[in-house]
Amino acid sequence: MTSAEQTTIAVRSVGLGKRFGRQWALAHCDLQVDAGQAVLLAGANGSGKTTLLRLIAGLYKPTQGQLTIFGNDPNRERMTCRQTLTLVGHDHYLYSQLTALETVQVWARLSGCEHSDDQLLDLLEEVDLRHWRNKRVGGFSAGMKKRLTLLRTRLEEPRLILLDEPFSALDTDGQKLIEDWVQRFKSAGKTLVVASHNLPRAARLCERAVFLKEGQIIWQGKATDMIQQLRLTS
Amino acid sequence: MKILRQTWAVVRKDLLLEWRGRSRILSVLLFGVVTLLLFSFAVGPDSVMLRTAAGGFLVLALLLSSTLSLSESFRVEQELRAIEGLLLLPVDPVALYYGKCLSNTFFLMLLAPVLTPVTLILYSVELDFAGFLTLFGLWTLAAAGLSAPGTLYAAMTSRLQSQDVLLPLLLFPLVIPVLMGSVKSVTLLLTGDPMSQIQSWTLLLASFAIIYWSLCGLLFPHAIEEGS
Repeated sequence: MTSAEQTTIAVRSVGLGKRFGRQWALAHCDLQVDAGQAVLLAGANGSGKTTLLRLIAGLYKPTQGQLTIFGNDPNRERMTCRQTLTLVGHDHYLYSQLTALETVQVWARLSGCEHSDDQLLDLLEEVDLRHWRNKRVGGFSAGMKKRLTLLRTRLEEPRLILLDEPFSALDTDGQKLIEDWVQRFKSAGKTLVVASHNLPRAARLCERAVFLKEGQIIWQGKATDMIQQLRLTS
Repeated sequence: MKILRQTWAVVRKDLLLEWRGRSRILSVLLFGVVTLLLFSFAVGPDSVMLRTAAGGFLVLALLLSSTLSLSESFRVEQELRAIEGLLLLPVDPVALYYGKCLSNTFFLMLLAPVLTPVTLILYSVELDFAGFLTLFGLWTLAAAGLSAPGTLYAAMTSRLQSQDVLLPLLLFPLVIPVLMGSVKSVTLLLTGDPMSQIQSWTLLLASFAIIYWSLCGLLFPHAIEEGS
């Protein structure tokens, strides 16, 4: 690992694979995401997008191959990797018994952030949840839970942000909010890997696209080219 | 210092969650009381026999209640996959373990003020104030000795559908030294200790509690992450 690799390459995988029982969810995955780049992961259900994101996040251990996050091995340098990335996934990682404010307080304390309650309330305002601060998240809609989970990207200030189906369960305003946030992340030089079925919207945000089918990468290129090819074939 | 802050943050979170779901601790308390009642019915009205068995039954009530309490502590984490959210944060898994272990010990300690008077009444045992304090100390050691491996196994089995069966199966054989140490020392406290054996049994109990707290703290990061 060189210091240049640590700063210029956010994600590098060589022959990466993950098997569950006898089923390969992901196989022979060679991928490089440069720092500051936004990459779209596309593909049908079960194509391996979520598995790839969870491998990058360190929630799964690879069955085969190598993976580095900013030059670090997520299995050996777990804490270093976790300080550099955040995953906002299908699951909301919430406690239904806690209120919105208590939830962000718990995240802030555990992340070691020095946010005051006023700052946390400002963050809740950004995702339109300030009025709901004292309501238990168990009563929140899926969209509200997603918006709350999205705040993790602001609390932890990661260099690499992994978004799994960021537009699902969100209304038009919620989707616009995600778009604005992604644009802001890109302006701040953060690296994004976005898995989405909403290809036209996601392709507007990402410059590169990777298409997966049955656990393998079958196409890589410009996001706009992928949309064009999909239109031609459909 | 960072690890201590994170441990404290986990404890605070767990205490808050337990306060919000108070019905859980109430059901565990009730389970402990019912267990003591059943044991007393099983022994019958023989007051000498009841007094002799009181220490053992009290510790068994703690052990049986602990499996309910421990599995619940990780069920909350699995709901909405909150545990993954914690693992994605830059939190030391050791802090996560000791935080959960401390809160589990605290919840088991909460059983003492309820189960002890019930035992004294049902099993015709008398205890002075100093005895109460000693019993609370022994209870704390037993709770700590059960929480350490219990938290580890509860984490390991939390993703399994058969957690309720597996947790006691894995936990009970491992905590036999804690069970022996606590049963003997509590029984000696309740029935009299003419040969001053209580100290050596307490030492055994404390030693195993320390061993479990050290060893399980080392194993927990593997247990929590390997499951993926």
